[in-house]
Amino acid sequence: MKTASGPWMATRASERALGRIGLYAALALAMFFAFFPIYWMLVTSLRPNAEVFAFPPTLLPQTLTLEHYANFIKNPQLLVYLGNSVLVATTTALGSLIISVYAAYSFSKFRYTGRRALMFLVLSAQMFPQALLLISLYLMFSELKMLDTYAVLVLSFTTFTLPLCIWMLKGYFDHIPTDLIEAAKIDGAGQMQIIHRILVPIVRPALVATGIFAFMRGWNDFIYALTLVGKSKQTLPPGLVLTYIGEFQSQWADMMAASLLVSLPLVIAFILFQRQIVSGLTAGAVKG
Amino acid sequence: MNAKQLTRSLIAAGLLMGSVACGGQAAAPAPAAATKAPAPPTVAAPAEFTFTGWAINEGASKDVVTGYMKAYGASKNAVIKEQPYPFGEELNQLVLQASGGSAQGAAQLDIAWLATMAATGKLKDLSAYAKDRGYTQAGLLSGQIKGVQYGLPWTTGSIGLAANKQLLDAAGVTSMPKTVAEFEAALLKIKKSNPDVIPYAGMTAAAQLKDILFWIWTFGGTVIDDKGNVTLGDAGSVAALEWYKSLLDRGLMNKEMDRFTARQLFSQGKVAFYDDAIVMKGIVTKDSPVKNLGDLIVPVARPVLKEGDAPQALLWGHIVVVFEGKNADAAAQWAQHLTSDLGTTTNYFEKLALPPTTDAALKADLVKKDTFTSDWSSKITASAKANPFALYAASARMESILTERVNAYLVGSVPTAKAALDKAAADITPLLK
Repeated sequence: MKTASGPWMATRASERALGRIGLYAALALAMFFAFFPIYWMLVTSLRPNAEVFAFPPTLLPQTLTLEHYANFIKNPQLLVYLGNSVLVATTTALGSLIISVYAAYSFSKFRYTGRRALMFLVLSAQMFPQALLLISLYLMFSELKMLDTYAVLVLSFTTFTLPLCIWMLKGYFDHIPTDLIEAAKIDGAGQMQIIHRILVPIVRPALVATGIFAFMRGWNDFIYALTLVGKSKQTLPPGLVLTYIGEFQSQWADMMAASLLVSLPLVIAFILFQRQIVSGLTAGAVKG
Repeated sequence: MNAKQLTRSLIAAGLLMGSVACGGQAAAPAPAAATKAPAPPTVAAPAEFTFTGWAINEGASKDVVTGYMKAYGASKNAVIKEQPYPFGEELNQLVLQASGGSAQGAAQLDIAWLATMAATGKLKDLSAYAKDRGYTQAGLLSGQIKGVQYGLPWTTGSIGLAANKQLLDAAGVTSMPKTVAEFEAALLKIKKSNPDVIPYAGMTAAAQLKDILFWIWTFGGTVIDDKGNVTLGDAGSVAALEWYKSLLDRGLMNKEMDRFTARQLFSQGKVAFYDDAIVMKGIVTKDSPVKNLGDLIVPVARPVLKEGDAPQALLWGHIVVVFEGKNADAAAQWAQHLTSDLGTTTNYFEKLALPPTTDAALKADLVKKDTFTSDWSSKITASAKANPFALYAASARMESILTERVNAYLVGSVPTAKAALDKAAADITPLLK
């Protein structure tokens, strides 16, 4: 039976098609903003120096070269910075995870006086401009004769990673039924056994997400790593600037090649753990 | 102000407030007459101290300067530890170290940073080390604050105008412009002759708009007058800024031009005129696709508003300061050697084209025969003036305020040059105290 729904259906179909086009256009725009800087880094790192500053610039390189990647590998000081970054970021991630697991468990599963105040106090550390905290931390570490040590970097980075780590893990712990903990207690498990043998395996995805967040903080920091330690203990971000940017130099192609290379560990970590990261980050987002 | 500038300003402001609050006496060092300064004491070897600077880690200068450090250390039985910072970060780092009490040894400074560092009260008076070493008067002045010799001059030059003669010839510009009107006419000719060439790569990126200073002077402005009043917003400064924007509006300059980009474009033969420090020749000729670019570069006396005016340029240079504390005398002797030893300073010039600061080095054959340097010195450096903000502890913030307001006018967010400069004057005035 023919009805008046024909034109109506056609309108709906065209609206859906338009909606899809709009969606794809928005996605394409978002992709452009996300990936164009990476594309530009890549092509800059593959161009010879003369072409990097060619005016007007071209989207595609006219000549390809790997000399900037070779320059990174041949520079022993950059490998020192790389080693420092691995050491400091890994220690920061591990330290942050260890402390935040216990803190988050406490905030999530115990009720005591001052708990909420303490939770917000921890969070408030995130609310100060880090540049201002740097001054007070520098003066404090200077008094303690701790400047120019790896410990000073790990302590500083952990200061900034802990609040978010604790809140991320608390969100995950909140979803674990208290009955499970009660059952473990009835079976004779102590608090440490409950945390280590029951809860930690359950919250593994959140631990991965949190650990990577803390690792990134240590890996990417510039100003603390520049200020608190000397050249021998500096990490990659200040090391790269120190090596490539100055009053009379701007080796952008070398800088882009080095930046891409040092981003690889994080990219690989994301690819390997993407499932855990997504589930870890979304845990606690919806009240179940 | 971008995030990085904001961060720097926060650090600098916080540190200065802290140092003033915690050490009022230290913030106002007592002037000392150079003639009454004690003779340098003998230093017991071996002495260990730090040398902080960007030259010890930057491109061409790295091997040269670290070589001097090693040679000096071996000959004097001293241990000089390297403490490199990127050029753009060093001032904040040194102020932080001085405030935290960990600054020590010697440090390379841009001359524009001296007042800020002197305000920390941690710099050693180097008058005794400056005596009888043959430093030029201009060099010595670049290291003084209120008559105290805090810095020994390492290199003294200027930021001036350079031209690519080949591009000028091609456009039919047969003589160097002497007045602003001639300069403008030359730029128009170049634009007409080859639209792909940027006639004047004047600084238009916010971070480097301090270059407006020499144009303000050219148009009769003073920025800060003899009585210490900020005069931005006067007829000269307004005319300079309006003229500068008109170059941009007419396509004679490019938007968002910074020094690095200007150098690269000049190096590729795409820029006819631009402003840079005297060391520009070595930088732009390196990896340049233009054959014999070095022979085509001409230092140009900045065009004046009317004939008879003095060409304007900004004094530029590096000094070496020493922090009070352990082994300060050893560090001062190193600073003295680095900046005045004849062999070291002429070698420094030979390797990096950075002009020396002693009469003996300037008279050395190597330096005298360098026609580019002597041309630049006579045409540009001879009449160069110090940054008017450089005398004040908050100089970095003052300069930043000026560049922000100038940028606001250039990008059109402030309607008139007068409004932009009046606002800059109002914001800078409280910082003079």
